Amino acid sequence: MPCERKPMRYDHSEGHTEVCFDDSGKFIVTCGNDGDVRIWESLDDDDPKFITVGEKAYSLALKKGKLVTASSNNTVQIHTFPDGDPDGILTRFTTHATHVAFNSSGSRVAAGSSDFMVKVVEVSDSSQQKTLRGHEAPVLSVTFDPKDDFLASASCDGSVVVWNIEEQTQVISWPLLQKTNDFSNAKSLCRLAWQPGTAKFLAVPVETKVHLYERGSWDHVSTLSDDLLTQPINVVAWSPCGKFLAAGSVGGSLNVWDVNSKLCVERQKHEKGFTVCSLAWHPSGSQIAYTDTEGCLGLLDGLSTSTSTTNTTKAPEKKPAEDYDALFDDDDDDRLMDEGLSDTNSPVKKPVAGDDDDDDDFLMPATGRVRNRGAILDDENSLDTGSLRLGQDKFGDDDDDTGSAVMPAAAPLVPLRPVYEGPLPSAPQKAFQPGSTPAHLTHRFMMWNSVGIVRGYNDEQDNAIDVEFHDTAVHHAMHLTNSLGHTMADLSQEAVLLACPSTDELASKLQCLHFSSWDTNKEWMVDLPKGEDARALCLGQGWVAVATSTLTLRLFSIGGLQREIFSLPGPVVCMVGHGEQLLIIYHRATGFDGEQALGVQLLQFGRRKRQLINGEPFPLSLKSYLSWLGFTAEGTPCYVDSEGVVRMLNRSLGNTWTPVCNTRETCKSKSDHYWVVGVHENPQQLRCIPCKGSRYPPTLPRPAVAILPFKLPLCQTTTEKGQMEEQLWRSVLFHNHYSFLSSSGYEIDEEGQSRSQKEQQELLMKMFALSCKLEREFRCVELAELMTQNVVTLAIRYASRSRRMALAQRLSEIALEKANQVQEEEPEEPEEEPEYSRRTSGYGQSEVTGGRCSNRRYQEEEEEQVEELGEEDDGQEMDTEEAAETRKRVNPFAKEAGSPVKPSLTPIGRVGRANPFKMLGAGKPSASSGQPRVTNILDNMTSSKKSAPLRSAGKPNKDPVLKPLAPRTKTKTQSTLLQMTGTKASSKKTQANAEPAAEQQKQPDVPPPASPADNTENKRPKTGFQLWLEENRKTIIADHPDLEETDVIKEAMGRFRTLSAEDRLSWTERAKGQTGDAADLKKRKRAEGEEGGGGRDVENENGRAEADENSAKKKKSLDPTSKLSAFAFNKS
Amino acid sequence: MDPSEVEFLAEKEMVKIIPNFSLDKVYLIGGDLGPFNPGLPVDVPVWLALNLKQRQKCRIVPPAWMDVEKLEEMRDLERKEDMFTPVPSPYYMELTKLLLNYASDNIPKADEIRTLVKDIWDTRVAKLRLSADSFISQMEAHAKLDNLTLMEINTIRAFLLDSLNCMYKLRSNMQPGSSKGQLTDY
Repeated sequence: MPCERKPMRYDHSEGHTEVCFDDSGKFIVTCGNDGDVRIWESLDDDDPKFITVGEKAYSLALKKGKLVTASSNNTVQIHTFPDGDPDGILTRFTTHATHVAFNSSGSRVAAGSSDFMVKVVEVSDSSQQKTLRGHEAPVLSVTFDPKDDFLASASCDGSVVVWNIEEQTQVISWPLLQKTNDFSNAKSLCRLAWQPGTAKFLAVPVETKVHLYERGSWDHVSTLSDDLLTQPINVVAWSPCGKFLAAGSVGGSLNVWDVNSKLCVERQKHEKGFTVCSLAWHPSGSQIAYTDTEGCLGLLDGLSTSTSTTNTTKAPEKKPAEDYDALFDDDDDDRLMDEGLSDTNSPVKKPVAGDDDDDDDFLMPATGRVRNRGAILDDENSLDTGSLRLGQDKFGDDDDDTGSAVMPAAAPLVPLRPVYEGPLPSAPQKAFQPGSTPAHLTHRFMMWNSVGIVRGYNDEQDNAIDVEFHDTAVHHAMHLTNSLGHTMADLSQEAVLLACPSTDELASKLQCLHFSSWDTNKEWMVDLPKGEDARALCLGQGWVAVATSTLTLRLFSIGGLQREIFSLPGPVVCMVGHGEQLLIIYHRATGFDGEQALGVQLLQFGRRKRQLINGEPFPLSLKSYLSWLGFTAEGTPCYVDSEGVVRMLNRSLGNTWTPVCNTRETCKSKSDHYWVVGVHENPQQLRCIPCKGSRYPPTLPRPAVAILPFKLPLCQTTTEKGQMEEQLWRSVLFHNHYSFLSSSGYEIDEEGQSRSQKEQQELLMKMFALSCKLEREFRCVELAELMTQNVVTLAIRYASRSRRMALAQRLSEIALEKANQVQEEEPEEPEEEPEYSRRTSGYGQSEVTGGRCSNRRYQEEEEEQVEELGEEDDGQEMDTEEAAETRKRVNPFAKEAGSPVKPSLTPIGRVGRANPFKMLGAGKPSASSGQPRVTNILDNMTSSKKSAPLRSAGKPNKDPVLKPLAPRTKTKTQSTLLQMTGTKASSKKTQANAEPAAEQQKQPDVPPPASPADNTENKRPKTGFQLWLEENRKTIIADHPDLEETDVIKEAMGRFRTLSAEDRLSWTERAKGQTGDAADLKKRKRAEGEEGGGGRDVENENGRAEADENSAKKKKSLDPTSKLSAFAFNKS
Repeated sequence: MDPSEVEFLAEKEMVKIIPNFSLDKVYLIGGDLGPFNPGLPVDVPVWLALNLKQRQKCRIVPPAWMDVEKLEEMRDLERKEDMFTPVPSPYYMELTKLLLNYASDNIPKADEIRTLVKDIWDTRVAKLRLSADSFISQMEAHAKLDNLTLMEINTIRAFLLDSLNCMYKLRSNMQPGSSKGQLTDY
């Protein structure tokens, strides 16, 4: 008998649990030590309904919508099913009841208790009780005779007793079990079972065997055993047809015997070997649900007891029979036919001890087959999975006659096993707020994002909302009474947004607590038009968006101004905002077969309003739905589906979605999940909350955030090659946000960017070396094409060292090509440049031209400063103009070389503070400036948190983490720059006015990033390029007399590039020699400092700012090459 | 050694906190700490955790062993075994005391944990006294005790050493002339 063991899932807390099916087989019902009765729609149901029945629930029985439970308060109570309303107490004991059971008709309940008594109670009238006394120890289990005459019970005193219910006397007693003193100490629960239907046999688990006693004679007629069974059997259960007997043992074995042949037809082992303490057959006989003492629920599926009997020879004859059956509408005919058939070919049943024809007749109508057919023919709405299975078995036939009748009703509700392979519409996913837990919970998270947590309480005492911020510097925690019944929330650095659905009297409302407002009104509220309900909402920077039930999206400003309104293509699923971006997911169409058909829109507001993604289909894993949507802290859209796959937008590949992580891979068990709360690209972090046995966390105890790494699902990641490929492409993907941020005018972490570029190039070089070793020269060339020019030269060196001349030849061609490319791109406007080549050009040039460009840039900025001083009061237009200007001016070189102004003026934490104890060169540059700040921070923190200084001190520190959330535009930076240099600026103003002109003149001679404060620029060493320029300037001007100064330099740079490497080197050498005279002392000192590996801070006469610049520049230009070359040498 | 010194050593143990402020990496002689991101757990030494906690700058995540069920199990095992059982942390007593004193609001069932740890401590110290007693009464030259924590050793050190010294003196006085020894019997 083939069957599938479904993985176990967490169900109740540890301890004794019980399971049963409801009458229709639609629900699995379990009870356990936590006192809850849970109602599962299927094994995969993540949000089961539950009924709390007491502190602990010992046993349950369910029949005809009555749920009887034995709980720890010594009572046996009734609840209605499935509503779970208490329906009175059936009986009481002096201690708790151990087992409850219904009779076959559901009119009586038997309960055995630890006070040695067994009671039989009428369900309709609990006063009619019969007490069976005689056990001398706690009762282990009770079971009714299906014919209602007898009752069997087992007790800790070792006896199994059959009682006559009417006379309340013992009919027979067998001393079969080991004696114990308590239910909890019993070796086996000894759950008895009486054969349904004929009531012929009573099954008693005795040690590792099952004894069958015959009704009436009470003789021990047969024993079911299995050699593989070594542990005592805990529980037995008859299949609904009465032909099979299932048993679960202490060691976790599950066996199914065919009672007639006494053969064990199915053996399964509990996946962890825990004690099986309850078993239940699905009414169709196709599934067995079981629970263990650790509180897990399992399911054996696909037991074919109902459709095929154990004898395979019967199968061919059965097929036509079923076909006929399907044609007959009359049940009686079916039965007759069935009986006839089974009588003619029932040789298997003959060997059963003491079998006669009479019994056979009893048996057959009770088999699952007849029942199931009945289900199909009579009750088309039945969701009986057994019948569905039957449908599947004879699919071809069903299609014509019964199939069409079954299909529509069964369609959306059968997660277990689809009946029919054709496309069935799946229920559309409801709208949700990402980062919230389901709305029906009394205590729930309304929002958990990277800013803070919004919790909603909705119980008898309290209907309130708690807002808490991760960073208390944003705002203090808030407690609001939720009188309007808000169900949706979002939270940003600026405001809390709440919305409630409409009621009969009140319209749906939107409430915004704009706590960052500088005026006294920190709150506004808007009523949505009648008949319009808020479905999803989100907050961006300076705006609020609400999607409503009328497929409308309303956009407000953060202050409550209505700004835009537009229609959505479909019902919204969810929505998130970040900065100026709004991401909307909606239902594009009806999905089929459990799939969702979602569409995605990505809009950008701000100055350039546009739609980045317009309504493309939204990829999800098979048969999954969207479970989280958000932006990374850096502003890349990102989402998680119910299969736990995290996908991220790949802007460099035409806005495709790349899977970056599968959270389910790290889960220990199938029912565990990760609830994602945030994604960060730099550092690469997936912040989520591990949830044991559920999809979302409870509010208490307060869940802790864990961090998962990303991993692209590339092939063969166990091999070195696969690993490096994964690392490379992950690094490339997570690097995309830099170009996005810079293109939309945000300030970016340049150091981080260059670091990741370096990392990529290093990886490429490693992969190159690996492919070289593997003699894959073609692959080497492919890799080389991804490299920057510098690295290609290294690769050439590597190739020639390892005597691969052909490869080296090809590589040099590539290098040449790249060099040409660089030149071509140079005069181009950066914005139009394709992503990759830009990176290349920047890399190639940073060494030589970086300083120059930043110099240029600095000049401009300075000019602007002066401008701004005058125009500070001008309105918005001026700002936008300027912003456009700045955006244009963002040049790729400056990015690589690092703007000279920033490190000194805007204290970005990462750059500003370095490890004073670190002995490595990398930490050196800003060490001198870093040290005092470290102490500052700790000092500041000691001061009371309310005091103003802390807040101001806290702000720059906040930057590294939260900067992406509240990105500052260039204009803003400049204004801060202005403030910070306020004192300087006044003195500089005159200087600055004079300087541009002068500098214009001086430029060719003036060395790179001249800081305005220091007048020592002339002392700065000259680079090789400058020397060269001095010599060749005349020729350039002669060639192009009409060129501007800056163009001359550009041209010169181009020409300088075309020189051979040796020539360039010689120029550089010369430059060194020349400057050696001028800055001799300085240089030497620096060299000494570097050799010693200690800190260097000698250049005080030049001012600290300059030192920083120098070193930063030096580091940037030298580090990657030197490191890589060191690597290359090592390898060779 | 002073108990406060042992406590000082215990403060070097790492504990998880969830800061509510943002701070870049802090470079200290003992090692780098951080970076601190609001809402994200980070490992810091106990001294810093307590300091931040007192200034309401973080929430402390109790160590995994500081859990009623685990401690109950441990207590039962400790009571059952004659030998010392391994403890969850070499500074369990100090950490419990420190964390419960300053951060009891972050630790679920703080009172029960306090009682349980005290129970474990009492059991262990009782065992320690018992073994000291049998050590002396059996006139052993050496004994080996596993799984003792610094604090436990510290509690008995002063007393045990002094008393052994005393006894040594008494015994050495007793040895040369047996008459003297007999005299003491009177």
